[in-house]
Amino acid sequence: MTRQASSRGVYLAEVAANERLCSDHFVLRLPVEGFPPSQPGQFVQLQCRRPVEREGVRVADWPEGRPPQLTQPELTGIEPLLRRPFSLAGHSQSGQTAELEIIYRAVGTGTRWLATVSAGDYLSVLGPLGNGFGVSDHKPLAVLVGGGVGIPPLLYQAERLSAAGKQTVALLGAGRADLLPVRTTGDVPAEPEPTGCVPRLAEIGVGSVIATDDGSVGFAGFVGETFERLLDAGEWPADQLVVYSCGPEAMMRAVGDLCVDRGVECRLAMERHMACGMGTCQSCIVKIRDDNPAGWSYKLCCTDGPVFDAADIVWK
Amino acid sequence: MSVDIAGLKLANPMMTASGTCGYSTEYADFVDLRRLGAFVTKSITREPRAGNDYSRVVETRAGMLNAIGLANIGLDAFLAEKVPQLEKLGAPVFVNVAGTSVDDYVAVAEQLEQVPVVRGIELNISCPNVKAGGLQFGTDPEQVRHVTAAVRGACRRNVLIVKLSPNVTDIAATAAAAVEAGADALSLINTFTAMAIDVEKRRPVLANATGGLSGPAIRPVAVYMVHRVYTQVTRDANVPIIGIGGIQYARDALEFILAGATGLAVGTALFADPTCLHSIPEGLADYCRRHGFRRLTELVGSLQTA
Repeated sequence: MTRQASSRGVYLAEVAANERLCSDHFVLRLPVEGFPPSQPGQFVQLQCRRPVEREGVRVADWPEGRPPQLTQPELTGIEPLLRRPFSLAGHSQSGQTAELEIIYRAVGTGTRWLATVSAGDYLSVLGPLGNGFGVSDHKPLAVLVGGGVGIPPLLYQAERLSAAGKQTVALLGAGRADLLPVRTTGDVPAEPEPTGCVPRLAEIGVGSVIATDDGSVGFAGFVGETFERLLDAGEWPADQLVVYSCGPEAMMRAVGDLCVDRGVECRLAMERHMACGMGTCQSCIVKIRDDNPAGWSYKLCCTDGPVFDAADIVWK
Repeated sequence: MSVDIAGLKLANPMMTASGTCGYSTEYADFVDLRRLGAFVTKSITREPRAGNDYSRVVETRAGMLNAIGLANIGLDAFLAEKVPQLEKLGAPVFVNVAGTSVDDYVAVAEQLEQVPVVRGIELNISCPNVKAGGLQFGTDPEQVRHVTAAVRGACRRNVLIVKLSPNVTDIAATAAAAVEAGADALSLINTFTAMAIDVEKRRPVLANATGGLSGPAIRPVAVYMVHRVYTQVTRDANVPIIGIGGIQYARDALEFILAGATGLAVGTALFADPTCLHSIPEGLADYCRRHGFRRLTELVGSLQTA
């Protein structure tokens, strides 16, 4: 029960930057003092409203001799109550301060509020949560398959794979060019061949393939198709390769099924609605194979995952 | 800050609301669970339950709906795996018990009599009674009386708390039934049966169609119900109330105390920030200092309505 010097917890952080990356995605840079080491695939829960400590709603903060400001806590209730989970897109350490990078898509009440946050504002960060992708010790090749807002944790994983000396290729897809949550160079090939077209990944020796559903940049089609084509090309021996994937469930299922079929190890970072992220609310269930009579049991995306072996997942 | 729940002295009124705090140590990295007055587990049933399909929760304005389906590892696994963790927790433990027959409740209560770290049982009576055609135990005073009396017989050592459902016409009627049947304390309220609809798909959001509404949205109703039960039933019977329903801040907790609650349980707010288990009692202590109260219990039911 003793809390470690640097353990997961609730942190107050002053936003360093919050900038638009494409039509829907933003990149948030969050220095968090005392934040523990993290792994790619892990996530944080952000409160998508101003931290209450700064609103004077605690009884302790009421002005002496005056009634409480009823409006504040009553009205904060119409802001998002629950935190929103975000995978880490990066984590760089400087002394005791972790600079967390979070790339998110502004799609709902919480994330649209988050998009209005400016440098100097405060956010409440809870984490790090869940289990990371890990890096396979003995397999020299790695392929990252990411779709849309599933791409960010793979950027962080690419750094780990590169540092571990793995030969890594990233296959990144989006609906259209302006929904891609990563910057590209001007010359993205239309064929699925890895190039240095994503500078951030090229810098660490990772080649990238870009695919868009509408063909507005890169390969015209689903990113899963580029994976199948490259796998069929035979340059990746099944027993030498680990696939790490995150994105829409249909994409991950296609990638996962293909890997299982070809005997390729595949780790998927699943997404679920979650209230707590700490294993208590029991809402973020994933059906996982089990040797019980039913053949499966529910695991929690937050504490058992979010990374699962593709071979273990029972899809709908 | 200490409070007395049916002869059991708790260091402070703070508790966890069942279903929002896991079985034992899930929040141990985030808060010091030893600072709790008591830890209330998620619902335990006689047999393990997988629970409902996805999706199980949805956030609504100032609240959320859940339909977990009492997913839990069952009594045997709870005793084998979780009780050893609870023994190291450093706070008294109340186990929330759910069932679909009176026998279920009694069987679980009997076994929990033998577990020293468990100091009380909280009956979740917001469950369908299979023998009574699926009607919830908690919605009918006669059923409340029947199940409470039966479990009372099995609870010789443990404190018996009955958790009341708000899905009734008059909560004072079910409260009176529980007290008459021997409940040591009442906790209120459980969630409101509710529904959220995805209008694009024209389907309920939750796989279970309905769910229980919790969070700040229900707090004013919960405060009213605590006040009604306190004035109509428990004040004269000298039975303590554990107030539950949308508590996030110390001022929320104070509303419950003024309305008649002796204990306080925090639920949905834990999902967003478990550290409120620290900030709420700090705020309560500060309030007592500012208003010159030596003991928090002096405030219980001290609402001035004239």
